[in-house]
Amino acid sequence: MRNLLRRLLARHAAFVLASGLLLGGFQWLISAVVASTDVTGALDTLVQSLPPMMQTMVSEQLFGGFSKTSLLAFGWSHPIAQALGAAVAIVLATQAVAGESEAGTLELTLGQPLSRGCYLAAQVVFALAAIAFVTLSGLAGSVGGGRVYGLAPFPLSALARLGLDYLAMQAALFGVTLMFSAFGREGGRVALLGFLCALVSYLVQVIGTMWEAWKPLVPYTLHAYYVPREILVEGAGVARPLATLLAVALAGLLAAWARFRRRDLP
Amino acid sequence: MPALEVTELAKRYGRVHALRGVSFGVEPGEVFGYLGPNGAGKTTTLRILLGLVRADRGTARLLDLPPGRPLSRERVGFLPGELRLHGDMTGRALLDHFARFRPSRPPVLRERLLAALDLKASDLARRVKWLSHGTKQKVGLVVALQHDPDVVLLDEPTTGLDPLVQQGFRDLVRELAARGRAILLSSHVLSEVEAVCGRVAVLRAGELLAVEGIGALRARLVRRLEVRFRGSAPADLAALPGVTRAEVAGAAATLWLKGDVNPLLRKLATCDVEHLVFPEPQLEDVFLDLYRGRGGEA
Repeated sequence: MRNLLRRLLARHAAFVLASGLLLGGFQWLISAVVASTDVTGALDTLVQSLPPMMQTMVSEQLFGGFSKTSLLAFGWSHPIAQALGAAVAIVLATQAVAGESEAGTLELTLGQPLSRGCYLAAQVVFALAAIAFVTLSGLAGSVGGGRVYGLAPFPLSALARLGLDYLAMQAALFGVTLMFSAFGREGGRVALLGFLCALVSYLVQVIGTMWEAWKPLVPYTLHAYYVPREILVEGAGVARPLATLLAVALAGLLAAWARFRRRDLP
Repeated sequence: MPALEVTELAKRYGRVHALRGVSFGVEPGEVFGYLGPNGAGKTTTLRILLGLVRADRGTARLLDLPPGRPLSRERVGFLPGELRLHGDMTGRALLDHFARFRPSRPPVLRERLLAALDLKASDLARRVKWLSHGTKQKVGLVVALQHDPDVVLLDEPTTGLDPLVQQGFRDLVRELAARGRAILLSSHVLSEVEAVCGRVAVLRAGELLAVEGIGALRARLVRRLEVRFRGSAPADLAALPGVTRAEVAGAAATLWLKGDVNPLLRKLATCDVEHLVFPEPQLEDVFLDLYRGRGGEA
């Protein structure tokens, strides 16, 4: 397995490093913006111009009021922050089986004295480590930016819960995409499916938050269990979201393994 | 005990029968040709032996182990037919990467292979994606053989190699066999199999047409010979022993030969021959004979 991990590191290091630095930089930037401009005042003015119902939805549901803390939390539910983590999860899961199969390298690799279980385990271990790195980079950006710009620090326990929730969210996306990857032969299709899953989950969750008719659908999205605002602003626990997201991740991994161990390759 | 053995192997992909009850074995020290046109089922057989594909029926044994066990691949060298290497690695890094899969079998043959296949240090220093097709094939051969495997599975190994390197490769194969290695050489090129193999299995559309010695295969071959004479062609060419068919047009004659060529050569020695061509025998010529023997259609 060490040989495969070394190979995965050599292949994906630049991509994972760039994703981590971007997320860290983005969170740093959010801190800088929050500290250096009167964003809350500007947004308050903007929201005043909206119809009353929209004002309530936007201010309470999306930002939990326009406090500096809630805006910092918004940095973690911002589409850019989510896209960076999702990109790492989806790309690594896609490449694990379908990508290698399409590239034609899987046949030679599995022609070596290497079990399929070991192969898949190496992919999972590397992906989780990569997602953890990206998460830690983001957290470092938040903490570092907060310190430099003199913002009130988040409690360490809240940051730990946020990190776990972000990691579990990306792990769930990885698990689901890996399942598609284990069934697929074309990387492009698998990546598209993984991306659509993430997008639909995100959109349904956002629309369900604002529109009553879609509200019953929200618990069925992955994004309903990714709750940075609740963690950072309200100090909420993450046991249930974590359990749900990790269960999805595990189900995806098991489905992927069930398929991969028996399928004809490449 | 054969180094590898398949018995009544059958595999379907949807409606397509890739293999229909294929059985053969390869002994240690033997170079066994697996001959058939593209799509005959050769690659599927190799993939079943390596545990990459599951057979619908029948059994496969590699070093007396069932396919799919990593242990069975420890002592095996494999070159895929559609070789695709990790393009982002250098040749040297790629060889090291595959060598690390077998810590107990170091790449003892690497330097010997690099020399035989004329792979230079400058080639290995470049990223694989920038190498020519032939050089990639050479790197693939080194990956397959560098750990001195007991069983070698080669799928169309000389694709893209220039004739000189092909000769070096054939010498290597003979050398490995002489040291007791079992070699399964899958190919659609008759001359390649003829040059190095002792026994041959002939496969077509998933069906094994024959398993026989190379001598018996040669005897089946109907070889074509094109002759141009100075003056008109002799009239009695078709009556010569071994000539199964003759087409004569003025000074040119096309002859089909089976078995001993000497009677024809003796006849030609008495004539004034301007030009003579003995084209490489084609796989279809073997199939024609095998199908005739079975009362089938080619």
